[in-house]
Amino acid sequence: MKTLKHLLIKALVLLLIVAAGCSGRQKGSDSQIDESGLKGGISISGAFAIYPITVVWAEEFMKLHPGVRIDISAGGAGKGMADALSGMVDLGMFSREVSGEEQAKGAWWIALTKDAVLPTINSENPFIRELKKKGVSRDKFIKLFITGEITSWGQLLGNAPETKINVYTRSDACGAAAMWGQYLGKNQEDLAGVGVFGDPGIADAVKNDENGLGYNNVIYVYDIKSRKKYSGLEIIPVDLNGNGEIDKDEDFYDSLDDIMNAIKTGKYPSPPARDLYFVSKGKPEKEAVTEFIKWILTEGQKFVKDAGYVQLPEEKIDKELKKITD
Amino acid sequence: MTKKLLRKIEEGLFRSLMSLSTCIIIFALCLIVFSILIKGIPSLSFEMISQTPRGGFYFGREGGILNAIIGSLYLATGATALALAISLPVALYMNLNLISRKKTVNAIRFLLDLLWGIPSIVYGAFGFSIMIILGMKASLLAGIIVVALLIIPIMIRAMDEGFKMVPPGLTESSLSLGATKSEIAFRVFVKQCFPFIITGVLLSFGRAIGDAASVLFTTGFTDRIPTSLSQQTATLPLSVFFQLSSPIPEVKNRAYAAAVVLTIIVLMISILSRLISGRFKKTSIKF
Amino acid sequence: MLLISLDRHIKDRASRAWMLLWLCFIIAMPVLIGTGLYYKSSLLLKEESVFGLLLSKEWKPLSGKFGFYPFIISSLWVTILALLIAGPVCLLSAIHLTQYAKKAVLKIMRPVIDILAGIPSVIYGVWGVIVIVPFIAKQSDKILGKQVSGYSILSGSIVLAIMIIPFILNILIEVFRSIPDELQEASLSLGASKWQTVKFVLIKKAFPGIVSAMGLGLSRAFGETIAVLMVVGNVVGIPHGVLQPGYPLPALIANNYGEMLSIPMYDSALMFAALVLFVIVLLFNLASRLLIVRFEKRI
Repeated sequence: MKTLKHLLIKALVLLLIVAAGCSGRQKGSDSQIDESGLKGGISISGAFAIYPITVVWAEEFMKLHPGVRIDISAGGAGKGMADALSGMVDLGMFSREVSGEEQAKGAWWIALTKDAVLPTINSENPFIRELKKKGVSRDKFIKLFITGEITSWGQLLGNAPETKINVYTRSDACGAAAMWGQYLGKNQEDLAGVGVFGDPGIADAVKNDENGLGYNNVIYVYDIKSRKKYSGLEIIPVDLNGNGEIDKDEDFYDSLDDIMNAIKTGKYPSPPARDLYFVSKGKPEKEAVTEFIKWILTEGQKFVKDAGYVQLPEEKIDKELKKITD
Repeated sequence: MTKKLLRKIEEGLFRSLMSLSTCIIIFALCLIVFSILIKGIPSLSFEMISQTPRGGFYFGREGGILNAIIGSLYLATGATALALAISLPVALYMNLNLISRKKTVNAIRFLLDLLWGIPSIVYGAFGFSIMIILGMKASLLAGIIVVALLIIPIMIRAMDEGFKMVPPGLTESSLSLGATKSEIAFRVFVKQCFPFIITGVLLSFGRAIGDAASVLFTTGFTDRIPTSLSQQTATLPLSVFFQLSSPIPEVKNRAYAAAVVLTIIVLMISILSRLISGRFKKTSIKF
Repeated sequence: MLLISLDRHIKDRASRAWMLLWLCFIIAMPVLIGTGLYYKSSLLLKEESVFGLLLSKEWKPLSGKFGFYPFIISSLWVTILALLIAGPVCLLSAIHLTQYAKKAVLKIMRPVIDILAGIPSVIYGVWGVIVIVPFIAKQSDKILGKQVSGYSILSGSIVLAIMIIPFILNILIEVFRSIPDELQEASLSLGASKWQTVKFVLIKKAFPGIVSAMGLGLSRAFGETIAVLMVVGNVVGIPHGVLQPGYPLPALIANNYGEMLSIPMYDSALMFAALVLFVIVLLFNLASRLLIVRFEKRI
């Protein structure tokens, strides 16, 4: 009995030492000197769309200010707003426009960058070549996602096959669904499909289903290192002028930089392209938070392109900067 | 003649169905454990358990699940300690002071059984509402409190099973020697029923570390290891839940690794509690 | 005059007060939870009647429509199907283990049951996603020629069934063991075969215990959140078949708590869902436990 007790105590002590050592190692690695002595914690949660770039911004900012600790988690834009308004986090990541209801509750927002929602299919889809040639128009998307009039690939392309289309949508309250819904003239809740949690989730579902059809933020479709689409995922070109085929100037999905250009120049419509925001309850007062936002709108912008996002036009950045500096 | 034959056939049929059922259950367990291990063990490496995710847990390619491992350990230890501080007195009180009022004790036991059946998501939803009212942020502390509430019925029940068995003679003889009730509680009951207390603690720890629905709303999630109670923390179950459905293979692997770590912890707790109850039973006073 | 020293007396009183405090707290818990949830849902309940909410089929929060019917139906489908799968298996196995099998088998089964009971629900969910969902999708295509994604009520039920097996099995084993041997011996001495004894004596006597075990299993299944959420599809609507996706009540709460503050009354609606869940589970538990108490009294 005594030896077992001793063993348990030793194990517990060892565990605590390991834990302390690990957390100590993490803090020690940020050894750059911070002249400003900025300290504090920033907690951020919300949209998957802006999550990757926020992580990059946070890491770079923490390198400059080791006294600041930034915690980021994703759970959908809805969660970001809910957490921000309830005071659970300092900043919410948001990927759609702030509604009147949210404004009435005191939401303050600031635009930081831009991206878009793209319709996705599996790269092994049997009809992929035709789909890429013809594209799908907005009307047809409405019939796929909202009314359910089109249920098979055959119906979509105007030929025979009865193979069913498995439509996926987002189960979490998010900006991507809201924007995609808005593009089709409706709301997130009107999108009909199997609900999957999170942007990575719906990408994964489509990746594993030959007949899958979904939508994703740019950043979860393209690999920022290779600038090409992740293997398994393909994009249905949107037939913008509705002429039944994809013209040269509608074909901009090949690489990440192509689609980013299209979004920037407005060739790809907004919605589903949209600005990405941070939201909070009233203007932020914590010094760490305001400094972070200011940094993002100035020096942080140089990370935007590599991270796979579209930079906002200069006038817009200046306008947003005024929001935080006034 | 045929009636007897039919009966024999019926008996044989049911007997084979019965053995089959037992086999199905054992098979299901093996299937589950093996599928998890097969998927997860390849993703387990030293980096996986010693590093936090780099580049964001949803997105980053490098790093591992240390944030979730440490976070879960902090959470489960804190919740178990808090629950112990509350459950032990309650279980002792039930068996010591209320021993004369059998009806009351049974009513309390009944109530505890009811509490035990409340789904963890109700605890999570309730906890979340309280957090909003109190202005608490999603944090390790909030998670500890909610999970402690969840596991208290489990712990009391387990300890109660042990305390129930202490014969009243022991209490009476201690009283006659001049001990106060609380002294009896701590020096006699606890010593006598130590294995049950340990089992209760281990069982609750296992529940605390594995439950996702209660921490979903209350503890948040982060890439970093928490350094204070007011920070958000990653937990193993949420680490699995969030990272599993990702198309990025490295992220998915983190989910599998977390699942394996969790499974191994649960298996170890099971084995440990059996070993301890086996060992300790030898040193308790037998009647 | 005190028979013991003052400091021991104070310690005694203090610890007793501490114990009593927490006891009262524990007793008050279900009331607190119920009241808290009710208070939060009161906003919604002011506008609509309870029956209206429970029976209305439209769930469109942005338009202010909160009909819980599809979720309740989904929950019922998943749990009842899970019970239909787990129930017979547990019953047969419990009889086997207590009546027919060698003691060694029961010894092996105990750790098996404990481990199954201890496995966290996320792990069951992961297993469901990597094994059950593709299995259902493949088999449905092979056997029925139907194309499904695999995320369905059936997947949810299978995962749930295995989750509640250790629970029901433990109770059934206890129930069967509590039936006095004399009854069975009497039956055997009258010439009945073992099987007949089981059928006509054991099961009949244990019937209330069996029913309450199933009831407890049902309430456990009803409240299970994470594992089911990962495999059930999360599509709002009334499912028309087991291969279709569903959206049980706990999944509704877990998936949408993030949106709570953006849409008016959404948080009330979700808290109401939690309240409904709480009440249903509580009632089932209450009924089953009372049954067990009466059953034990009879033995």
